[in-house]
Amino acid sequence: MKDDMTNVSRRALLKTSAATAAVLIVPIAWPAEFAVAASDATGLTPYLKIHADGTITALLPTTEMGQGIHTGQMMILADELGAAPAQFKIEMPSQPSDAFRVKFGATMRQRSVGSHGIRSWHDRLRGAAAKARNVLVQAAASQLGVPAGELETADGFVVHKASDKKLAFGALVADAAKLPLPEEPQLRPEAERRLIGKDFPRIDIPSKTDGSAVYGVDVKLPDMLHGAVRLAPVWRADVENIDGKAALALPGVVAVVKVPRGAVVVAKTWWQAKQAAGALVVTFTKTEHDGWSSAKQSADMRAGLDKADAPVVMTKGDVNAALQGAAKKVDAIYEVPMLAHMCMEPSVCTAKVTADRVDLWIPTQDHDIAVEEAAAASGLANDKVFISTPYLGGGFGRKGRGEIVTQAVLASKAVGGKPVKVMWSREDETQQGAYRPAMMARFSAGLDADGKMVALDMLLSGPQMGREYKHVKFEKNADPLTIASLVNNKYQVANQVLSHTVVDVPLPLSPWRSVSSSQNAFFLESFIDEAAAVAGKDPLQFRRDHLAGQKRHQAVLDKVAEMSKWGVTLPKGVSRGVALDESYGSVTAQVAEVAVEGGKLKVHRMFVAIDCGRAINPNSVVAQMQGSIIEGLGAAMRNRVTVENGRAKESNFGDYPVMRMNEVPPEVHVAIVEIGSPLGGAGEPGVPGIAPAVANAVFAATGKRIRMLPFGDQIA
Amino acid sequence: MIEFSLNGKNVSADVVEDTPLLWVLRDTLGLTGTKYGCGIAQCGSCTVHVDGEAQRSCVLTAKSIAGKSITTIEGLSPDRSHALQKAWIAEQVPQCGYCQSGQLMQAAALLKTKPNPTDADIDEAMSGVICRCGTYHRIRLAIKRAAADV
Repeated sequence: MKDDMTNVSRRALLKTSAATAAVLIVPIAWPAEFAVAASDATGLTPYLKIHADGTITALLPTTEMGQGIHTGQMMILADELGAAPAQFKIEMPSQPSDAFRVKFGATMRQRSVGSHGIRSWHDRLRGAAAKARNVLVQAAASQLGVPAGELETADGFVVHKASDKKLAFGALVADAAKLPLPEEPQLRPEAERRLIGKDFPRIDIPSKTDGSAVYGVDVKLPDMLHGAVRLAPVWRADVENIDGKAALALPGVVAVVKVPRGAVVVAKTWWQAKQAAGALVVTFTKTEHDGWSSAKQSADMRAGLDKADAPVVMTKGDVNAALQGAAKKVDAIYEVPMLAHMCMEPSVCTAKVTADRVDLWIPTQDHDIAVEEAAAASGLANDKVFISTPYLGGGFGRKGRGEIVTQAVLASKAVGGKPVKVMWSREDETQQGAYRPAMMARFSAGLDADGKMVALDMLLSGPQMGREYKHVKFEKNADPLTIASLVNNKYQVANQVLSHTVVDVPLPLSPWRSVSSSQNAFFLESFIDEAAAVAGKDPLQFRRDHLAGQKRHQAVLDKVAEMSKWGVTLPKGVSRGVALDESYGSVTAQVAEVAVEGGKLKVHRMFVAIDCGRAINPNSVVAQMQGSIIEGLGAAMRNRVTVENGRAKESNFGDYPVMRMNEVPPEVHVAIVEIGSPLGGAGEPGVPGIAPAVANAVFAATGKRIRMLPFGDQIA
Repeated sequence: MIEFSLNGKNVSADVVEDTPLLWVLRDTLGLTGTKYGCGIAQCGSCTVHVDGEAQRSCVLTAKSIAGKSITTIEGLSPDRSHALQKAWIAEQVPQCGYCQSGQLMQAAALLKTKPNPTDADIDEAMSGVICRCGTYHRIRLAIKRAAADV
């Protein structure tokens, strides 16, 4: 099946390009477990194209949002091929197909989430590049009359060292394209990979220093109009009545378009549209959630912790018996608030709708959702939707939602198919969700006489993130988007249970960088620290003691201990805290060095060790760790979305204060640990450990446990 | 009709007088390097130079800049040759990059008044410009690199 599909795709591709100049096209094949349905012929397959002029294009599905994925993927291709990075251009497909998708649970989706860009694509990219190299070398061997075994590739040339001859890839593609691609190409030996593992300048950065990079908000099209929204402040409320007379009388205003939960005002500029949206006279329907609040949610979640027989997600051994027989017990309740994403670029989508197709220009992390929403809103089939993906001005999980697509499609339809760029204001973005859910947890542990954990009881209370996704499969009670970093914890405790009392909320939820690990690592790692204190053990050693045989966890703990000089006495007033996490295929350990002076917390230094298998572009991994720490620390210290009377109180950066230049830890030290582990992600794994590392350091400084986030006002 | 100088050229825009400069630049004149982030001078993504001073274009009315000289990121240098742009690339500063026009324009104004800024100078000047990707450490290094290069 796999081979047939590969050949069919390749033949189809060759046919379409036969009329133009010679080109070598190599499909980027998927591994057998991602076997593509034969009926899925809507999109092309990802490919590597080597042109006669020496340029190389790669068609790849991962969105660039600052994680440096296009550079990382290019490095893998260029290294294996022996091409010069400057030859490359990365393009994105206009339609999802299974060949571009990654497996999520039981389904395939084209989504740029879950730190998948490298780990899901590395082998495929490398294999395709090796196939291309193979036929280029064969073609060169014929032209030069030398054995293929004497040839190598470098900087875009096939080189014959003995005779000092070389041929450019471009001069070989016509011949190479006639050769059959090898099924199992020989990969370049690890030692001969020259780009991988060394810092490489990101290809997207130059355009991000002169204003020329095109983001979703920057899309410009002939006759384009602009849209601003006016949406119900209470979720699940709809429009009862709209009077658009005053709005339509304002300068530049073209139309008022009813959309689910509100209206889009279309005008010649966004500012005009925004002013007019404010001038709409709208009443919204009442909902049963008009009185809902964060306080009520907290009370409901707290009650959820006391409910008997919470649905069990994972269990091993006999926790109750072990707890009863324990020499000492530890018990703690934790809580985290809702968080907003606050991408610098708000939600935005440009749509152009004609009788037989929809074109979208959308900075999205979820191409499938964009297609599904556009199809539903336009009444056209999925394969009539075409997407251009500009750069994302931040994603963090927020840009995988569809309402903005529906709004843009309905707006374009309403103005005769002219393109309309709908953008939310910062206030819309902050108050319309979708949020990282608030959650609560009760953790209990039993320790034996030696201070070893014999039982670990983890109970969650709160909503299920997975309910946002039709395709998420709940196995028994396990919502995979709610239990990460807990269900897979590697602490060697024979008796464990993880359960989850579902307390739903009338708000949309959205993955927030590192998804449930963002709260679960806070719960678990704060609690492990509490257990260590009860056991009278050093918290880092206590973790080591419970991780026998866990090489990756031991390695990052050892590294972070070395970096932070763990155990060496700190200056008076300075304290340390440690946290560990495994998420997105990577294992991280963090140490925070803090001082609490006059009721104020200062994080002086952060140390992070990450085992992400192998860092393709180490500087990008370092950048992700630096950014994760700042994002995670800002949120832990003072960010929350508070709902009162069914609506979010916070509205902009004034009352949702994210970290600024003068507030970040002066030093963030990052080490990449490479011990031969499988490839892991880097975009998200830096976030989970920061909150517990700092909270544990605060305990070391003050003796006070931080059990609720944000903790900024709990230090005094 | 508002007339002003934009990146060294005289321009005019047919807009209502209270239209914020940000939207005159982006939607009327088509210069999209300057970004919207908050609309209330909280985030600094829209920072431009008005007669050489860093200002938030989202709260400057078109009327208030009539006859003035505006420089946007597109006019910082013709070819990414400003010391800060070179330093931004050398230090690999941007992640998503959305705020970086504002960061660069704020930093350029800082270096004009303080060619060798201290950490405290950098904190004071740059704390008004938010970066959600958390590139602050690299911004600081890049400003110092640019200062050393000038």
